[in-house]
Amino acid sequence: MITKVLATLAVVITGALLLYGTADFPAFGDPHSPASAGVEGGAPSISQYYITESYGDTKVPNLVTSVLADYRGYDTMFETVVIFAAGMAIFAILRVFRDEDDLEPNPTHTQGDRFIDGDHSRIIVGTTVRLVVPVIQLFALYVVAHGHHSPGGGFQGGVILGASFIIIALATDLGNALSRFSEKSYFTLAAVGILIYAGFGVLCQVLGSDFLDYGVLQKIFLTDGPEMARSHSMLGVEVGVAFTVTGIMFAIYANLSSRGTLKSGL
Amino acid sequence: MIFTILSVILILAGLIFFLGAAVGVVRFPDFYTRMHAAGKGDTLSSLLVLLGFSVYQLRDFQSFSESWIILLVILKLIAISTFFLITSPTSTHALMDAGWEDKVKPEIAKGRSNHLEEDAPKR
Repeated sequence: MITKVLATLAVVITGALLLYGTADFPAFGDPHSPASAGVEGGAPSISQYYITESYGDTKVPNLVTSVLADYRGYDTMFETVVIFAAGMAIFAILRVFRDEDDLEPNPTHTQGDRFIDGDHSRIIVGTTVRLVVPVIQLFALYVVAHGHHSPGGGFQGGVILGASFIIIALATDLGNALSRFSEKSYFTLAAVGILIYAGFGVLCQVLGSDFLDYGVLQKIFLTDGPEMARSHSMLGVEVGVAFTVTGIMFAIYANLSSRGTLKSGL
Repeated sequence: MIFTILSVILILAGLIFFLGAAVGVVRFPDFYTRMHAAGKGDTLSSLLVLLGFSVYQLRDFQSFSESWIILLVILKLIAISTFFLITSPTSTHALMDAGWEDKVKPEIAKGRSNHLEEDAPKR
């Protein structure tokens, strides 16, 4: 009882302090706030710089992507690592291994043809999933590849791609989805994604610049200037992010829905 | 002008069907009839609203060479409509099926039997 009272008190005090802090914020969209106008006699505004200069710096029309993947690329890399760590934590906490689990999960259910043929009570859902999943996956790749020009990018595209496998698992069973995207492959994919991202950083260092300073990669991409090299490298790291998010999305679903046994699922 | 009026009519029709679906979800007696209202009303009204959007896009269509980009927008709207047309009834069906599997009883008038119960395959 006393712990509950103390916990409630702590939550209320923290929340009240946070709410009190918001009173000092500039109004939403205020053009004279330090973030928009800079500090008088001090640092110039960073948002002004992004709005006016980011296209010239990176040749990426979507300035959210250029900020996310280039100006603060180091931050985004560790955001991806956080997602990977979340997947690892789920694996460490939930995944259980028993002797009988060494067999293939659901050996009778691993045939992909079970969508329609085996289970007539699921013919409607199965047919729809068959129709829709390729479209969803194609759209996910579009979102990843088109992140420079429209809203989207690695995180969003990765979530859509992971969701397409979750749909397969929901419509049939977990074994069917795992036969397409096994535990080994999704964790490998997640790790490879981070390696791609960090690899771009190390590659920049090898070529004699700072970590994740993509401009120097023009020697590899053979572009006209460092700007296009930045654009191409952003696509590369977005693909890495998409790999990690796809793998971890499905890993979290598979472990949560089957209580870590990776059998039957929902 | 004609396209604007036509699109307003289509969107209004869609909103009326939305209202019907919302009323149906609240007023119908049991789970299955409520899902029926939600599934049918939602699908048709979304399609009508999206159709209204695509008609509205046509309002400053000049010639194919000048305004092909409008057709591109319409193509995307049609793609969204197709996606809706397939997925929305399916999700309703899946919910209904889950309810049936979970033995949610439909409300049946006195003196009539639930023929679904006799037809249902043994799971």
